[in-house]
Amino acid sequence: MKTTQFISINAFALIIAFASCKKDTPVVQASSTPALTNGVFVINQGPFQSGTGTISFYNRSNSQVTTDVFQNANNGYVLGNIAQSMAFYNGKGYIVVNNAEKVVVVNGNTLVELATITNLTQPRYFLGINSGKGYISQWNASGAGCIKVINLTTSAIINTIPTGAGAENMLLSGNSVYVACSGGDSNDSVVTVIDATADSVLKNITVGANPGWIQEDANGKIWVLCAGKWNSSYSSLITPGSLVRINPANNTVELSLPFASTTSQPSVLVTNSSKNMLYYIYNGEVYSQSITSSSLNSTAVINRSFYGLGIDPTNNYFYGADAGNYTSNGKVIRYNASGGIVDSFAVGVIPQNFCFK
Amino acid sequence: MNLFKISVITICVCRAAECLSQQTVDSVLQLKMVEVTAPRIDNFSSGNKKQTLDSTLLSNYSINNLADVLASQSQIFVKSYGLGSLATTSFRGAGANHTALLWNGFNIQSPMNGLVDMALVPSFFFNNIQLQYGGAGALWGTGAVGGTIYMNNIGLFNKGLSVFANTSAGSFGDNQQQLGFELSKKRFISSIKIFNHGAKNNFPFINTAQFGSPEQRQSNAQLNQYGFLQENYFKITTRQLLTARLWYQYSDRNIPPSMTENTSIAYQKDQSYRATAEWKRTGYKLASIIRTAYFQDNLWYNDSSVNLNDKSKTRVFITEAENRFSITKYDLVNIGVNNTYSKALSDDYIKNPAQNRTALFANYKIHTKNNKWEAVMSARQEMVYTKPVPFTSSIGIVGNIFRYFQLNVNAARHYRLPTFNDLYWAQGGNPNLKPEQGWSEEVGLTYKQSHKKVMWGGNATLFNRNINDWIIWLPNTYGIWTPGNVLKVWSRGLEYKLNVTYEVKKLKVQLSGLYNYVLSTNQASTTPNDPSVGKQLIYVPVQNCQGNIVISYKDVSFMYTQVYTGYRYTTSDNTQYLNPYTIGNINVSTIVSFNSFKIKVYAQLNNIWQEKYQVMAYYAMPQFNYQFGLLLNYNKPNKINTNN
Repeated sequence: MKTTQFISINAFALIIAFASCKKDTPVVQASSTPALTNGVFVINQGPFQSGTGTISFYNRSNSQVTTDVFQNANNGYVLGNIAQSMAFYNGKGYIVVNNAEKVVVVNGNTLVELATITNLTQPRYFLGINSGKGYISQWNASGAGCIKVINLTTSAIINTIPTGAGAENMLLSGNSVYVACSGGDSNDSVVTVIDATADSVLKNITVGANPGWIQEDANGKIWVLCAGKWNSSYSSLITPGSLVRINPANNTVELSLPFASTTSQPSVLVTNSSKNMLYYIYNGEVYSQSITSSSLNSTAVINRSFYGLGIDPTNNYFYGADAGNYTSNGKVIRYNASGGIVDSFAVGVIPQNFCFK
Repeated sequence: MNLFKISVITICVCRAAECLSQQTVDSVLQLKMVEVTAPRIDNFSSGNKKQTLDSTLLSNYSINNLADVLASQSQIFVKSYGLGSLATTSFRGAGANHTALLWNGFNIQSPMNGLVDMALVPSFFFNNIQLQYGGAGALWGTGAVGGTIYMNNIGLFNKGLSVFANTSAGSFGDNQQQLGFELSKKRFISSIKIFNHGAKNNFPFINTAQFGSPEQRQSNAQLNQYGFLQENYFKITTRQLLTARLWYQYSDRNIPPSMTENTSIAYQKDQSYRATAEWKRTGYKLASIIRTAYFQDNLWYNDSSVNLNDKSKTRVFITEAENRFSITKYDLVNIGVNNTYSKALSDDYIKNPAQNRTALFANYKIHTKNNKWEAVMSARQEMVYTKPVPFTSSIGIVGNIFRYFQLNVNAARHYRLPTFNDLYWAQGGNPNLKPEQGWSEEVGLTYKQSHKKVMWGGNATLFNRNINDWIIWLPNTYGIWTPGNVLKVWSRGLEYKLNVTYEVKKLKVQLSGLYNYVLSTNQASTTPNDPSVGKQLIYVPVQNCQGNIVISYKDVSFMYTQVYTGYRYTTSDNTQYLNPYTIGNINVSTIVSFNSFKIKVYAQLNNIWQEKYQVMAYYAMPQFNYQFGLLLNYNKPNKINTNN
């Protein structure tokens, strides 16, 4: 073999090796931040394990969707692992990030970060009480739960109120806060009632097993959706789910409607704008329930299930969160009040909660 | 021109000769006999691309774990959650539990999740590490889907008394001590290697996930690990060898928060007992191997902030027997049986699961009269209790062509059984899962030639692999997370390697470059219009390059390694990704010898270009860091006429 031949073969091999080291830059989506008014915020949990939650914004007036509105407003600063929920109160937004254990307080119009509340353990939801204070429900350690009372001026934690296990959704009715105690990582079956002035527990009302969602109807009655309790091998529900009505006048259960299924847990309780209809997900479908009915409705309004569900109070449209394969961007499907499909739009990874503004 | 040919048989023989050295028998006969009891990876893996991390290379990484070694010296992508934290491997775009990790032939993958944490494997325990790229289900059974990592311990007889002590210190409170002792006589060897490793790992980093991108120090990342490997080799007769090994290890690691979390108080303790025994008999007509192993792993995860205190324990018993013989002068037959019994104790399961698997396997190797071509066929039938899993087979061919080239071709079926977590997790475990299975194929071309003092070599391998019924967890119609045989993953790509060695007198310069192009896409979904179909799997870089420069002069050695890892998507529809990173590391060492003593002084300078990077999203990695150390070695050879 000649030396030149030898050199040329190897030179060729080298060229192939390094020519193939080209950059393969992914396509970047361009986005601009719109005015965050008159729209719907979609809270996307983000990829499990090592991702960050995001917020998508749907503009009602022009149907435009903007992804990552929080990140865009804050120079790329991210929310953190598992964005759980968002609430607006007195012009500020409160974004609860479950696994990153914080609540990010933002400007309600721009989503620019104003403060971050830390020292929380598995926070779930925020509820504004008055101009001075707000409540954050949290799961705490397994088998426990509490409300952290926040000074809304300083964003400091000023008090802790113990509740049943796995404090979840809250409702302010009169001067009382009703906390659905979902059991968290274990089980519980109470709604803890708190005196919102004294920040003290008034009563634990025993409802069904593992209550997670709570709504007030047009008559001022309080409805609680209980998920039910699994047997030790998680093969069937030893206590099926139930829909329970509480009379806030005496804080007692006045109606309890058990579900039949021992394999399907009901989830997500929402109301329409006039608060005379309730909606929930059960057995792979969305059901409606009149507040005056004393038995469970057996016909579904939407024949599919969602990872999250909301109702837009401006037009009573359903917003169904479809998390797809849970590792890619999800979508939101909109339905009109009678369950007819309207349209759909893409959002972030694992959409779950909605915040209507 | 001083050119040299390569021959497969030469390589086999050289490798086999390392394994055992018998000085009493005639050398031709010895080679034949020795080859017959070499591990299956040497005898029956022809046609797959293989890479050996030899003892010289490993000596540069004596204080590193296997994850560090693989990240800078192999074409495997290592998914690391941070300094000293969990690290898993991905071969050719496969998943973390698609790597079979074999220790002297025994699979040490956890029956609970199919993983081995490579950050818990101390590389100095092993004499060499072989990497077999591609599926090899017929050779190794479940888990050998993406590739196989084979960690070897080799007993060298009649070497006398050896003692070593190694101590190192480095950035972020890292310190390590190692001690070794070996007595190697004509008929027996007894050795022990012990280590103790501690680190604070409180490295500074810019936290881009927090408001204002503050500089922070990694918190709650301390680790403390210790362990030993004790080995005994005994020649019962010149033809019979008995080996017994015990590997014990304890690790206590705190689990640092991710960049989006503020604090963590979680910790994890891992404790492993691994005991093995092996009996080998070589003969002129028949060679037999019987080996058995008992592995126990205790894992304790604690996060008191959420009142989580999770304890689990696994026990694995493996027994394997092989018989080898030749029908003609040109072939070698191997027939074997493997029984693996696994058991787990954990509160996370519906019940404490157990699994008994029995496999029958056979391998047949044949070569041409002139040794230029060789073919290996393998088959394996495994049963879980009495239920058969897919019949697995493979064929590999190696041939020497056109003077400088060697061609290798391989087609192999592979499978992975569902893990205990997939089957029995409460809630959601699915006992009806099928094994993942598929085929992998590859074609490789290796060339090697030399010109004066320069030696050139290269390898290009094209591969293709399909994994069907890939198990993932998704919520079912009732919203309960449960695993299913959902994905079909098609991986294909090119691996390229080039190396040049220049050697003159006591100066040796080695240059090598590696390049990978891997497409690994999911082709199936349970939902219509799933945007992830046809897209790259998450955390699989499409491109990966490495360069190595080794310069040694007399007893001074300098090594520079640069690794480029390309974009990795973090969402399955490929809408989010992590940026590429380039890491440069330097290893320098010098050895001073006098009488029976050798002193090695060494230093590792890592991430010298101060790259800010993430391997996994929002898990901080250190910028520049260093280690330096001192190794003292003493060897006293046996007297010539010693009997034992």
